Amino acid sequence: MAFPHRPDAPELPDFSMLKRLARDQLIYLLEQLPGKKDLFIEADLMSPLDRIANVSILKQHEVDKLYKVENKPALSSSEQLCFLVRPRIKNMRYIASLVNADKLAGRTRKYKVIFSPQKFYACEMVLEEEGIYGDVSCDEWAFSLLPLDVDLLSMELPEFFRDYFLEGDQRWINTVAQALHLLSTLYGPFPYCYGIGRCAKMSHELWRNLEEEEDGETKGRRPEIGHIFLLDRDMDFVTALCSQVVYEGLVDDTFRIKCGSVDFGPEVTSSDKSLKVLLNAEDKVFNEIRNEHFSNVFGFLSQKARNLQAQYDRRRGMDIKQMKNFVSQELKGLKQEHRLLSLRRFQLEGRDYVSSPSILSADIGACESIMKKKTKQDFQELIKTEHALLEGFNIRESTNYIEEHIDRQVSPIESLRLMCLLSITENGLIPKDYRSLKTQYLQSYGPEHLLTFSNLRRAGLLTEQAPGDTLTAVESKVSKLVTDKAAGKITDAFSSLAKRSNFRAISKKLNLIPRVDGEYDLKVPRDMAYVFSGAYVPLSCRIIEQVLERRSWQGLDEVVRLLNCSELAFTDMTKEDKASSESLRLILVVFLGGCTFSEISALRFLGREKGYRFIFLTTAVTNSARLMEAMSEVKA
Amino acid sequence: MRLTSARLCVGRKYELYSMDWDLQEELRDCLVAAASYGGPIALLRNPWKKEKAASIRPVLEIYSASGMPLASMLWKSGPVVSLGWSAEEELLCVQEDGVVLVYGLHGDFRRHFSMGNEVLQNRVLDARIFHTEFGSGVAILTGAHRFTLSANVGDLKLRRMPEVPGLQSAPSCWTTLCQDRVAHVLLAVGPDLYLLDHAACSAVTLPGLAPGVSSFLQMAVSFTYRHLALFTDTGYIWMGTASLKEKLCEFNCNIRAPPKQMVWCSRPRSKERAVVVAWERRLMVVGDAPESIQYPWRAAKDSYLVPELDGVRIFSRSTHEFLHEVPVASEEIFKIASMAPGALLLEAQKEYEKESQKADEYLREIQELGQLTQAVQQCIEAAGHEHWPDMQKSLLRAASFGKCFLDRFPPDSFVRMCQDLRVLNAVRDYHIGIPLTYSQYKQLTIQVLLDRLVLRRLYPLAIQICEYLRLPEVQGVSRILAHWACYKVQQKDVSDEDVARAINQKLGDTPGVSYSDIAARAYGCGRTELAIKLLEYEPRSGEQVPLLLKMKRSKLALSKAIESGDTDLVFTVLLHLKNELNRGDFFMTLRNQPMALSLYRQFCKHQELETLKDLYNQDDNHQELGSFHIRASYAAEERIEGRVAALQTAADAFYKAKNEFAAKATEDQMRLLRLQRRLEDELGGQFLDLSLHDTVTTLILGGQNKRAEQLARDFRIPDKRLWWLKLTALAHLEDWEELEKFSKSKKSPIGYLPFVEICMKQHNKYEAKKYASRVGPEQKVKALLLVGDVAQAADVAIEHRNEAEMSLVLSHCTGATDGATADKIQRARAQAQKK
Repeated sequence: MAFPHRPDAPELPDFSMLKRLARDQLIYLLEQLPGKKDLFIEADLMSPLDRIANVSILKQHEVDKLYKVENKPALSSSEQLCFLVRPRIKNMRYIASLVNADKLAGRTRKYKVIFSPQKFYACEMVLEEEGIYGDVSCDEWAFSLLPLDVDLLSMELPEFFRDYFLEGDQRWINTVAQALHLLSTLYGPFPYCYGIGRCAKMSHELWRNLEEEEDGETKGRRPEIGHIFLLDRDMDFVTALCSQVVYEGLVDDTFRIKCGSVDFGPEVTSSDKSLKVLLNAEDKVFNEIRNEHFSNVFGFLSQKARNLQAQYDRRRGMDIKQMKNFVSQELKGLKQEHRLLSLRRFQLEGRDYVSSPSILSADIGACESIMKKKTKQDFQELIKTEHALLEGFNIRESTNYIEEHIDRQVSPIESLRLMCLLSITENGLIPKDYRSLKTQYLQSYGPEHLLTFSNLRRAGLLTEQAPGDTLTAVESKVSKLVTDKAAGKITDAFSSLAKRSNFRAISKKLNLIPRVDGEYDLKVPRDMAYVFSGAYVPLSCRIIEQVLERRSWQGLDEVVRLLNCSELAFTDMTKEDKASSESLRLILVVFLGGCTFSEISALRFLGREKGYRFIFLTTAVTNSARLMEAMSEVKA
Repeated sequence: MRLTSARLCVGRKYELYSMDWDLQEELRDCLVAAASYGGPIALLRNPWKKEKAASIRPVLEIYSASGMPLASMLWKSGPVVSLGWSAEEELLCVQEDGVVLVYGLHGDFRRHFSMGNEVLQNRVLDARIFHTEFGSGVAILTGAHRFTLSANVGDLKLRRMPEVPGLQSAPSCWTTLCQDRVAHVLLAVGPDLYLLDHAACSAVTLPGLAPGVSSFLQMAVSFTYRHLALFTDTGYIWMGTASLKEKLCEFNCNIRAPPKQMVWCSRPRSKERAVVVAWERRLMVVGDAPESIQYPWRAAKDSYLVPELDGVRIFSRSTHEFLHEVPVASEEIFKIASMAPGALLLEAQKEYEKESQKADEYLREIQELGQLTQAVQQCIEAAGHEHWPDMQKSLLRAASFGKCFLDRFPPDSFVRMCQDLRVLNAVRDYHIGIPLTYSQYKQLTIQVLLDRLVLRRLYPLAIQICEYLRLPEVQGVSRILAHWACYKVQQKDVSDEDVARAINQKLGDTPGVSYSDIAARAYGCGRTELAIKLLEYEPRSGEQVPLLLKMKRSKLALSKAIESGDTDLVFTVLLHLKNELNRGDFFMTLRNQPMALSLYRQFCKHQELETLKDLYNQDDNHQELGSFHIRASYAAEERIEGRVAALQTAADAFYKAKNEFAAKATEDQMRLLRLQRRLEDELGGQFLDLSLHDTVTTLILGGQNKRAEQLARDFRIPDKRLWWLKLTALAHLEDWEELEKFSKSKKSPIGYLPFVEICMKQHNKYEAKKYASRVGPEQKVKALLLVGDVAQAADVAIEHRNEAEMSLVLSHCTGATDGATADKIQRARAQAQKK
């Protein structure tokens, strides 16, 4: 279990500095408003804030009461109100309504808006339109990188995905460039830089401009991280759409890991309280199982439980002194471990996959409650269908499966996910299926999803196969246009045409479906495919592997063409003699639009195999459900 | 020239320059203003003093501190009351009507501002320019004996000071004080003193003031606003702190004539206090001692005092001198018969040069006292305070000589002093004419000195200094080049082409040079074409945008903004365009810029829905229009008619977009909505906004089977869905009878396994078994296992000879009860393998 890193694996840089920086800056901003104040925090910022500064730190800097930004009138009686928000227009309107209500009541208070990670002109515009620009003071809290784990940095910007990949809104690219700039000032320049995708390219250009403007600051610094790889999420939707079967991914799919921690409800804790558990490398048991295929985890946990029991049993036959010692030192740790362990078991039991019913029988009641909520259909069936889609056989059967899935109203998000998976792997649905699946879906889940489908089409997630040759002709013309900056005259419809996935061809080219002779041993994985039970090597991770091997895109021309990225794949090498061999084995992978825990696990595996260490920077940790929700239209 | 008296050791005076300006006038006939920190001197012959000669236009002349002419111009504006230099070396000319005209060093007009209506009406009686940490201020005494002041002319905020109660005549003297970052006015009326702050006027008294004073004739506040001196009609001088809390010393000079000027002469942090008082024919230095120093007022009966940080500059028609308190280090070294380590070291070095052995004796003496380090430091410091290079050199030579005998003396203080002196000697040169002392230079900082050189258009010298001091390019050379370029664009006789080329040749892509700033200057001079040419050299496209907007090249600005990738910038341009263009053109521009378009769309989505609709309309984007109306049908409209109408519009749009699928789906939704409304009316309950599936389910759950069937037919719900739906609903109702009837209505399109599953889910094994028997052969084993009939499942599996099924059954065999079954399977397997 838990493969150790090779002895020569490089040390990770210390990212806790980022937290300290963010905290200091926040304190500075709070001190800019001296005296007691009430702090209004946007819901999305609460968890990240919690990781940076706890309530007592806030209190030290004269924050009196904390409120959530929600569409309710504020009950605060403080003379000073401070708002900590993302730069969103709806927040501006909320603040405006508060300020204007005060004005009507003839009340004057001090208002301060702190935008994180940056403010946008549009927000100030709205404040001005609402007539309160002069009443509030604005500031920026440039907190864009939250270290969720020793090797995982998150920008905690889930809206990046929808804003950029659906709405074509490029606001956040600047934020990304700023974040990269911050990393290079703190951890030295990156001698090797690779990237693929339009957003990757733009971020890279902006980032380079920033570096040039502040020339000399990073110059002469020893690089700590040798490589950086920027990747757009739309290079690989397939991986993100698959059900996750690595432990951490499974927990995320089932319980939703939020900002590095997960809330277990009463059905898991088997008490009436829910419990918040922080999931990171500091939790030793978790660290050992996070990257494992779930089928291994049970055995491991049972073994662990037995060991624990044995340690508990040691209590017997101790004298008083030993006993005391034991209690003071070990018991606390053991209990903690035990509690977490039992939680884990429930998490697993949430999915009905297990072959040995003896363990399952233990708490069948709790399991059922999760099952009812989570899946009405067999998990195994689902996985089977996904694998069939990835490999491209029995398409008819899979389509029927999806249709039944929709008819039975299993889950709107899951159904949508399967439809998208089918569309991408098949280069679009054949017109008949496209119409009938959509009709069925609308009948099951409501007509507003007509808009959802329009969104998915625009993002290239759910499309219709266009008849044969005409497409390729148009495509080649359009893709030329797409690459030319000046020629921005492509309408949305055209650009979605260009987003042909070519998954099957890429899969063949990059050998994403491993040939299996006999059983794939999930305990001793041989390649990254283990994160999908040996059925599929994540495309994103394979691209990264190939480029790192070549230290360029050379020889991958065909793949790049199939990804519709002929002009959007780049390599940028700076002559750097000072890079130590250790730093050259550290790789920062930047996922623009989110990455999944499965991808993280796969790359961690690759790192162990090759003696690299990967560091992940993502706009947000994502999974299939989050992607689909981002595309869905919901009635307010 | 050294000045000493029995107890008073004020300082020394040395000549800075001999002035060979060719002055036509006596200084006393002119308005004079000299800027501190060795700044320029402005002279304006004052014709308004005498009533007769108003016909001749006076000449305003500006000279450097060494008397080199910088500018000369005929004064064409109104009568001037007072002149003064701002901290940025801009000349402020306060006119009688309260208008302040601002000129540059070279007599170039910059701007003007007024000190307010009250001043305009009552005229200006007197005015002072004063300096605070915010910048330079103007204080005005009006004809109505009221004060108006502005603490910073760069950010003009006029403050009218409170009235002095009962004030009938002009105060005999007044000054501005600056305490706690607020400017006050202190004024004397007869024997009384008043302090005006922005809130109140308070009478104040001087602690320890000698009796018999009936009037104050002159007052002076020190350079740093810490000390104050007052001259009374009894010839008595009171010196104390500016807070008026403490008297420091007093002096009685027995001269009752009002002095022309009175100025503090002190060094920062020094304990010595001294004031220089000037009369027409006399100059006197007084301090904390019973005697004063009187200067023979040689030819210089017509001289002018300029207060400095660490002394006083005195210039006349012929000379320019500096009077200051001797700094400690110099004092130690040059005191007669001084035994200070520095003095000994200087002596030792001199002897050494003479190759005299005395050198060794002196050195030994210092070393025995362990004061060599101190000696070197003293010499270095004293060198800084010397004006003449020869003297500097000999002191530095002494320091360097002493350094040889020290093991670890950090060289940087020596090196830095050498560098600083080189810079100082360069700017003190007659041609440059900035007589800075070392202390002033340190206070001013090299950056400001460079700015001042740039202001004097001494670009080559400034660049040489930057290179000599190895300043980073961004702060040094590039900044100066940029200034040069800004000056260059003002040369109107050179063609645009040539200017642009010259600038680019010299600047290249020096880091830190902002071509857009230079372009902005060019535009400011009315050279739009040149500005655009210069902008082309600007590598950062974002920087080009603000100026392009200003020059009304909005469309170019938009593409530059997009190129920069800064969305905020794009947005700024968009709003500009929106106001500048009519709606149609604006939309057309957007259409060609997808990035800007999506940005603007995002904004409209949240803030201006109607505009969004117009945008789609303009583009004939019927697909999006359709979506827009669909959203409106549930987000904006409440009444059912409104919703249906919105859907109708949407459907029409979809037809135009040739999206028949969406159009049909929308029409179905319209039908469904109407129907749901009817159902609510007829049956009560909640139907609106349910999906079709949920509508049918609700009907079945409510026992409305007929209507449900009707609905399913009307909306052509496929059989499979209907069966799933009915099955789920009936099981939920636990209406087993109806379920069975339904199951037999025709052959199930979804098979019978779902029946088994759903019955088991409702924990009805009895019903489940009924359906298990009807399950087709492929799923039979699964069904039997579901209802718990392991034995029969085994039989079927064996019969099918299906390996997978057999192991499935086997995995369901638990313990003793199914032992026999398990054996049976094992046997069958074994048999199968044999074959």
